[in-house]
Amino acid sequence: MGEEETTDAEKSVVKNVARLTAATADERADAAELLCRAGTAAAVAAVPLVKACGDDDDGVREWVVAALEELGPPPKTDVPALDTLAGESNPLVAYWAITLLGRSGPDAAAAAKVLAGCLESADPAVAQRAAWALGRIGPGASVGRGPLERAAAAADPRLARLAAEALAAIGP
Amino acid sequence: MSPVHPHNPTASHKPPAGVLPLVAACLLALLAPAAARAQPAPGGGPAAKPWDAVLIASFNIQVFGESKMAKPQVVEVLARVVRNFDIVAIQEVRAKSDDIIPAFVRAVNADGSRYRHVIGPREGRTVSKEQYAFIYDTDRIEVDASSIGVVPDPQGRLHRPPMHARFRTRITPAEMAFTFWLVDIHTDPDEVPQELEALTGVFQAMQAARPDEDDVILLGDLNAGPPEFKSFGRIPGVAWAVAGTTTNTRRSKTYDNLVFARPATNEYLGGWGVLDLQSTFGLPLDRALEVSDHNPVWGAFYPAEVRSQPGAIAGGASPARR
Repeated sequence: MGEEETTDAEKSVVKNVARLTAATADERADAAELLCRAGTAAAVAAVPLVKACGDDDDGVREWVVAALEELGPPPKTDVPALDTLAGESNPLVAYWAITLLGRSGPDAAAAAKVLAGCLESADPAVAQRAAWALGRIGPGASVGRGPLERAAAAADPRLARLAAEALAAIGP
Repeated sequence: MSPVHPHNPTASHKPPAGVLPLVAACLLALLAPAAARAQPAPGGGPAAKPWDAVLIASFNIQVFGESKMAKPQVVEVLARVVRNFDIVAIQEVRAKSDDIIPAFVRAVNADGSRYRHVIGPREGRTVSKEQYAFIYDTDRIEVDASSIGVVPDPQGRLHRPPMHARFRTRITPAEMAFTFWLVDIHTDPDEVPQELEALTGVFQAMQAARPDEDDVILLGDLNAGPPEFKSFGRIPGVAWAVAGTTTNTRRSKTYDNLVFARPATNEYLGGWGVLDLQSTFGLPLDRALEVSDHNPVWGAFYPAEVRSQPGAIAGGASPARR
């Protein structure tokens, strides 16, 4: 791809990130769809996309989620912002912030304390994803060892399994 | 225009050697015109479909919901895709409305085709859920309504447990018809190795689900290609249709496949393909992505049951990849 084309793709992502907070749901959904079609090139839009998981409109949220599924790992510089969003009360926002932290692997070690707190979430998907993310961080998530040991004894079989796997990944 | 990757384009679709009763072979010869090549017709319809093959496809239609159905140019392409095949297993129906698939099937049937659909429940761990669907040509395929269901997953190993249904071909006498399970799946891209391991158990459970049904075709968006299958790729006799080529619209990944086992599913003829949206419909990349970020994948199967015999070797078509 030529330098000019790369610049146009980047400009498109920036433009559509701005449109994610447009006044109309149709425009926000269109922006999310275009970011989804950008694939991993939209990784720079990780934080705005996670925030957009809190949109009131179903159509916007579906395209935002689809974009996040295709995004790959976020830029390392997004870890602090995602750390904050992982504690959001909106379960979909928290879930995707946690997912992107997990995709960051060891680079998200600074978020391990917040993720350990998410193991107590009332939303099962959030708690399970937090266990998964701690496992992806690995030894750098040792601060989560105690909460993970409690989660490994949970009645939720998926949470228990993911917590046990995370403990194995963190190591002794 | 043909699909980009028409494999075995000149293979004659004769039944696997040595296993078709002589009487049945004569009956089929009397009933049928000259066999057509078992490949999708170029996007039009209703195309004359071959008598000696059924084409089973899988298609992840990214975020298939209200916004996509509101785009007539996209619906037209999708309808033309479906008309190429006898059954299409669909992933990523994401809609609040229950009328998306019915409306889409009406669009498919606008040319006089007679497709019907099966749709599964909304599944997913968050508020963002997906449905699986099968769309099938009732002139050539029928479904056993009592067989439709979702694979149980009490341990929570699969984000979207697959939907299963059993089908039978209608282009051969019923007592000879090829019957088979289809198992429709869309794995979680963040837990692919774990989900493939779980699907190993799913596939084997489906093989044992009915003593009178040995044919299981697991198909969908695995988010993985054959080199990443690991234990899933070591199921005894397992084989798959798609290998050595890409299946996403960007032509960069192999995510979609049809997986079955030999010798049970000797009905597989060896013909398979990826219907490339860009080249088939003359679309630039951005227009093709508007349709989906996945291309449909398909495999060709003989429409009559093939009984495997000790020592019998499937012939006349390339062996399934493994």
